[in-house]
Amino acid sequence: MIFGKTKLELKVGIFVFVGLVILAIFILSIGGFKTWSSGYRINVNFNFVNGVKVGAPVRFSGVDVGEVKKVELSFLPQENRSNVRLVIWLRNNITIPVDSSVWVNTLGLLGEKYVEIMPGTNYSDCLKANQSLTGKDPLPMHQIFNRAESILHNLDNGIARIVNKEGSLGKLIYDDDVYNQLDAFVADIRKNPWKLFHKVKEKK
Amino acid sequence: MMFTDFFITIGHRIIACMIFFGGLSNLAAQTVYLTFKPPYKWQRIFEQAKKAGNESFPIVALVALFIGFIFALQTAYFMQRIGSEIYIASLVALTVVRELGPVITALIVAGRVGASNTAELGSMQVTEQIDALETLATNPVKYLVVPRFVALSIMLPVLTLYANIIGILGSYIICVFKLGITSSMYMNVTFEALLYKDLFTGLFKAWIFGMVIALISCYEGFNVEGGAEGVGKATTRSVVFTFIMIIAADCFFTALFYFIFP
Repeated sequence: MIFGKTKLELKVGIFVFVGLVILAIFILSIGGFKTWSSGYRINVNFNFVNGVKVGAPVRFSGVDVGEVKKVELSFLPQENRSNVRLVIWLRNNITIPVDSSVWVNTLGLLGEKYVEIMPGTNYSDCLKANQSLTGKDPLPMHQIFNRAESILHNLDNGIARIVNKEGSLGKLIYDDDVYNQLDAFVADIRKNPWKLFHKVKEKK
Repeated sequence: MMFTDFFITIGHRIIACMIFFGGLSNLAAQTVYLTFKPPYKWQRIFEQAKKAGNESFPIVALVALFIGFIFALQTAYFMQRIGSEIYIASLVALTVVRELGPVITALIVAGRVGASNTAELGSMQVTEQIDALETLATNPVKYLVVPRFVALSIMLPVLTLYANIIGILGSYIICVFKLGITSSMYMNVTFEALLYKDLFTGLFKAWIFGMVIALISCYEGFNVEGGAEGVGKATTRSVVFTFIMIIAADCFFTALFYFIFP
């Protein structure tokens, strides 16, 4: 007899069961089914990754195809430099040519970092699982600033010289002498147009 | 004389507070011990679970829906100004799942179930039914507190899950039908913002709140003095203390999780 003494248990059971279904929906949606779809991992070596974090998206031709799984920092004694290895997880149906170029890019206003892969052309030679690529290092912001600053500095110096009436450009703008001479020359030519056709006799 | 009276009052308050925490800890220890000690009273647990879960659901759902509406509209007020309405989805999802879902559910259940627990146990205490249980060799904690404790600590996370999804639904209604965000876009942004830790810290807090509600309401019920008036006073105290303890526990665990899972 189902709807006798067990009615209470049934009601509570349905309530909790629906709660568990909601939990499952949350878990599956948050994971985005990513955890269950199969994929493979590749490594990309960088000198500088500009703050890429685990879980950052990976884009191939601008499409999200995977994510960064690990960021490992190591020291290479024979080359005397530090190396950053990004372990990248990619979906199984994505094939990446070995001559693709990889770099770290910035997304949007908030400066979220992601890994950009620009496909190469040689599709006969594609990356397999656990193979490595070498990434192009992003230009650090301070280098960009430094370069911009030196450009601005030079420009500023140039303008300062012009403003201070130094150099030929400064003289051209501020010195009336050139104008006056040009004016006199034009006036002279108007008065004596024959001078244009005058041939100076060559001295023998 | 005024001053000495003042300090005497303060001293009495502090002592009363310590007695409260001592008694509560005592009850908590007994309850946890008796929860795992057979025999298990399944029938009574189911009765309490229905009272705490199924019967609280309509009001929790209604409040969660309204919270979703309100939150979406209030954030839209500012987000529209800076032209990022789409972030309402992630803001609502995070706030509801991490904070508002557990806390609102706990406050509703504290007001509804906690108060009724205190009143029920209090009138049993006043009419000496609890003493009668003891003479029948039935442990009143095992018979009265454990079913409420188990039921509330299971049902509060479940109710929180309902509140989460309904709160997100409320904000979804505003965003999709009022602000013109597309449905799939809203869902994407919502679940992109959420992490597993957000969901599970929220549910963990709900579990703690469930135990807090059960213990405080039963403790106050057992300690009723005087007749019907005492029951009324105990019920008020129970709800007030539960509210304070829920907010305090929320603050504590929010800070803890903030530092454990940055």
